[in-house]
Amino acid sequence: MSLLKQAPSEPPAENAVATTPTLRAAGRRARFWLVAGAGALLVAVVSTVLAVGGADGEPLAADSATPVGARALVEVLRQQGVIVTAADSLDEARTLTSAAGDPTVFFFDPDGLLSADQLTAMARLAPRTIVASPDFLTLQTLAPAAGFGGVSQATASPARCTLPAAVKADTVSPGGPTLTIPAEADGLTGCFPSGDNAYALIQTAASDRTLTLLADGTLFNNERIIEAGNAALALNLLGAGDELIWYLPTIADVPGTGSPSLGELTPGWVTPTLVLLVLVTVAAAVWRGRRFGPLVAENLPVTVRASETMEGRARLYARSNARLRALDALRVGAVQRLAGQVGLSRLATLDEVIVLVASVTDRPSGEVRLVLVDAIPATDAELVALSDRILELERATARATTPLPPERMDS
Amino acid sequence: MTLTGRFVALLALGVVPIVLLGRTPAMATAVLGLWVLAALALGILDLSLAGSPRRVALTRSLPTRVRLGESVTSDLYLTNTGTRRLNMVVRDAWQPSAGAGNNRTRLALPPGERRLVSLQLTPTRRGERRVDRVTVRSFGPLGLWARQATLQAPGQIRVLPPFTARKHLPSRITRLKELDGRTSLMVRGQGTEFDSLREYVRGDDVRSIDWRATARHNDVMVRTWRPERDRRVVVLIDSGRTSAARVDDEPRLDTAFEASLLLAALASTAGDHVDFIAYDRRVRGRVQGAQGAELLSRMVDTMALIEPELIETDWAAVPAQVRAVTSRQALVVLITSIDAAGASSALLPVLPQLTRRHTVIVASVTDPTTLAATHERGNREEVYRAAAAERALLDVARVSAAIRRQGAEVVTGSPADLPPALADRYIALKAAGRL
Repeated sequence: MSLLKQAPSEPPAENAVATTPTLRAAGRRARFWLVAGAGALLVAVVSTVLAVGGADGEPLAADSATPVGARALVEVLRQQGVIVTAADSLDEARTLTSAAGDPTVFFFDPDGLLSADQLTAMARLAPRTIVASPDFLTLQTLAPAAGFGGVSQATASPARCTLPAAVKADTVSPGGPTLTIPAEADGLTGCFPSGDNAYALIQTAASDRTLTLLADGTLFNNERIIEAGNAALALNLLGAGDELIWYLPTIADVPGTGSPSLGELTPGWVTPTLVLLVLVTVAAAVWRGRRFGPLVAENLPVTVRASETMEGRARLYARSNARLRALDALRVGAVQRLAGQVGLSRLATLDEVIVLVASVTDRPSGEVRLVLVDAIPATDAELVALSDRILELERATARATTPLPPERMDS
Repeated sequence: MTLTGRFVALLALGVVPIVLLGRTPAMATAVLGLWVLAALALGILDLSLAGSPRRVALTRSLPTRVRLGESVTSDLYLTNTGTRRLNMVVRDAWQPSAGAGNNRTRLALPPGERRLVSLQLTPTRRGERRVDRVTVRSFGPLGLWARQATLQAPGQIRVLPPFTARKHLPSRITRLKELDGRTSLMVRGQGTEFDSLREYVRGDDVRSIDWRATARHNDVMVRTWRPERDRRVVVLIDSGRTSAARVDDEPRLDTAFEASLLLAALASTAGDHVDFIAYDRRVRGRVQGAQGAELLSRMVDTMALIEPELIETDWAAVPAQVRAVTSRQALVVLITSIDAAGASSALLPVLPQLTRRHTVIVASVTDPTTLAATHERGNREEVYRAAAAERALLDVARVSAAIRRQGAEVVTGSPADLPPALADRYIALKAAGRL
């Protein structure tokens, strides 16, 4: 075979045509998806931002603009020259109050995170302490004489006390929970009564510090601060001093118990290392997964084995136990071979073959006939045995008809 | 664009400064950010310094033909037309059955220079093997990131049938030559020609003494004969669905090619004209009017592209195909399969049309596993298998008898035996003067 090989001519100046799109072409092709993806991202961001203004949010948080937050009150206080500082823990509140000259503490603990000791310590932080929505433990600790009243049914809530802040406010929003003062209790002043010794505001004045309990903290939130005299009451109560510590307890106030947690024991580099390993994995995936050009397609021929029809027919025989049919095939094949071996033509009759084979092999023709024609196998074992006898007959005939090698003629 | 293992290792090395310097989470996070940014910056720098894989000119140098089982070298010349040095890996994307093996080559190519990438191809399959594309991956000087482009560089080689049966050719040609100049042993008939007169030597048949020439020469002269030359042999291969079946892991069609190549080589040496047709419902390949070496090269060229078609062969149109090749008496060789009476029922009715005018041989591949299965009768499954094999052999025998009754000859054999058996039958027919 001659291998024709042309010597390459002058080096061509033209670059080969690239089928990989350039970055620009790929960008142009994927433009729709890029724009669509960016649009979807934009929609997601905008809707998230808008959702922040919903009803959810921490109640009475100083920086929360949601309806339940208290940012409106805090901003007005700041405009009035009061320095408002938010505190997340008792330690922080203590630091802030010790640094301040004449602090006021606003305390609101809807989850009841502080213990009795912590509540006592909190009440001693500043000369003026305002507690919004006190819970049972708070009342027990700070004003054991006071108790819970029901929900007020009054339609109007005038001050009817001598507290300056309450007098200036004149009224607050009616309804909501109340606190009660027993008739014989000393040192407790109740304001905004709604019958049966139930008040919306209670103040207990010790020698150097006053404690004000506001039954319904929601009066000060963004939604309700503008109702009735709520704003006046809040500003006068909270703006009494130069500084206001806005203390909402968090989980940091809950004293830890037992051994340090797993997170505290973990060195600082563990999380960044994990992040790095994720990045390395991604990079390795790109390194190993980037295909070296497109796959090459090739049409391959089907593979059909020619013996499949024979195998299929064999399985059909076996499944349907077609013993006689299978044996017939074996016998016809054997008879044709035997006819050839004893020198008969293809057209010889079965009887001629039987007689000749019987005489050649020195067997009774009845036996040969039984093997080649008459025997009907009842079981598979008989079929196998008969097939062996046919083979044996063929072998015997072959032995009898093959002349011995010349050197062994005498034996 | 892609990145390398070196970049992955560089990124992973960031663990060391993070663990050493990151005492607090904030510090560790800062170190992580700085490391990732530095690695990315290095990668982008590397990418911008890499040579463009698009600025490469390609030239192929390929042999046009190769015989199946042999190896050739595929040469690809790459010229860097850019201004930067290309540090690259080249993938020459040959089809899998072209047998290119590992087709990735690492190469450094300075600007304006040309390099050769050679691949050893050992095709595993007959037919046209193609290559369309070359993919170039160009690394930056740091080996961190790489640019990649796929370039068009089409090429093809034609893989020819192996013609392994040519090993039988010398012995058959010898036997053919023995036919020349024979006197007594040859059966003289229509197909023999008077060759020459020569002196009688002892052993010659006395019946071939030419008395008139003996009288002229004063010596006893005998006539010698030689087989007739310039006969026509038409080889028609059935490329229909039965030719797709594999016998001994070789499609029937490939065995048919081997047999027809051996026959063509032999007949062409003997001075006969060989025509080749591959046919199912239309002509898939045809070689006509070629002689000698050109005949064989054109035949293998035509055969290379023929694949079995999964359709039934239209035998009714075959006599017309033969008539279109020759109107004279010819030897018509039909290479098909005669496994089952059902599959051959279309072939049998058209045979008389051919045998009326031509000598016809029907050649078929038989499955050696069938013959072997008739003797394995150890257990129940094997006995049933032997019965099915006997049934298959009886079918072949029955179809063969029917074909002989139509006046045609039958040659069967396993894939290894069929080509020499067909050649022997040709020699026998030639000796008998029946061409």
